[in-house]
Amino acid sequence: MSLTSLDGLRRAMLSADPGLSRFDPLPRIICHDDFDRGQCGWSQLIGNYEGDLDTMLPGYQPLTNPMLSTLAHWEGGSHGGIDGSYVLKLATRAKRDTATVGIKRLTFRKAGPIRLEFYMAFKPEANTLALSEQDVKSVGFLLDLQGSDQGGDTGQRVMPHLRYLNAKDGVLQQKWQFKRAAPKIHDINGGEETVSHFHLADDGWEDLPGGAQRLCYNEIPTKVNWHYVAFDFDLATMTATRFTCNDRTFDLSGFDSIRMPAMKNLWCMLNLCFFTETAADKRAFFYVDSVCLSGDF
Amino acid sequence: MLRESLTAVIARNETWAGASATEPYEAGWATEAVFFVRALKAGKGAPVEAHVEISPDGMRWIREGTSLVLPTVIDELAVARVRHFGNWLRLASDLPDQAEATVLVSLHLK
Repeated sequence: MSLTSLDGLRRAMLSADPGLSRFDPLPRIICHDDFDRGQCGWSQLIGNYEGDLDTMLPGYQPLTNPMLSTLAHWEGGSHGGIDGSYVLKLATRAKRDTATVGIKRLTFRKAGPIRLEFYMAFKPEANTLALSEQDVKSVGFLLDLQGSDQGGDTGQRVMPHLRYLNAKDGVLQQKWQFKRAAPKIHDINGGEETVSHFHLADDGWEDLPGGAQRLCYNEIPTKVNWHYVAFDFDLATMTATRFTCNDRTFDLSGFDSIRMPAMKNLWCMLNLCFFTETAADKRAFFYVDSVCLSGDF
Repeated sequence: MLRESLTAVIARNETWAGASATEPYEAGWATEAVFFVRALKAGKGAPVEAHVEISPDGMRWIREGTSLVLPTVIDELAVARVRHFGNWLRLASDLPDQAEATVLVSLHLK
């Protein structure tokens, strides 16, 4: 079979699979997480500690455990996912400006192009009979990456961050932001082995040029619509190459990632994170229904 | 197909005083749940009960009927087992004045 027909066969198989045809994966699918098969390796982010959990940086203390949800609402029942019952749900605490994170920890086989695609939705907890459109502060994602141990002393830990800043201080913002300012690195418990940094603090975010986008929030807090997001990153050059949300593809010429010197035990790290922040004393919910991570290798 | 099983840590190093509860957790896919509570620090005050609560919506809660006594000695464990809980679960306690418990609460579902 020729390469051309092999490629055609591959595309035909992807198109015939309802779970994959909604994605545009690169040649190798690294993982395809359908949350009707469990949490698929998406777990709670734990801050670093040494000797005592009290040594964890304060920003990590309130993070919560992801869960499988049927997206059930008090007056409408289970909303369900795109094509199944369960979705991955991240829920903050009911305390303004707190965040939560879901993380999947991998390493990479080849420093080349990767593509993260997912479908997302977000809503505040529906504990008031009001639109509540300004109550979710943000939803977003980040990669936590580090080059190979064969890369020499110039290796970097690189963390591309993007968040959709929905609202802040009661005012709708509706724009994508990125972060390149490296956070302060703290020694944990005065020890030599463990350090930590909280990279999700509210400072350091910058507007993505041209990044204003109005999404489908819908008309009450219990109506949910799914949005497609795709992010391409080249692990060889450690640069972002493409970012898409629904019908918009954004210019990344002004984008950069958090960059810091390589750490001694994170070689070839490929971590994926989803996060959300609440803008009110009300839980923010970030839902993901299927994720596809693919690579060109 | 292997049965699904999941451990969720729903309170980590939280110091409870007064009306306290774990964050709401959805587990409608599971048929059984076990709560473990571990004391991370020495408790203050007399031993106090915590109650498993269930909810129709994650916002309004009612006691399920299963309770445990919050551990007060470091690394002491307490356990509660429940079934037929619907979708939402949490563990809640109303600690009297001066009482305090620093807990690690995990939920084991299958």
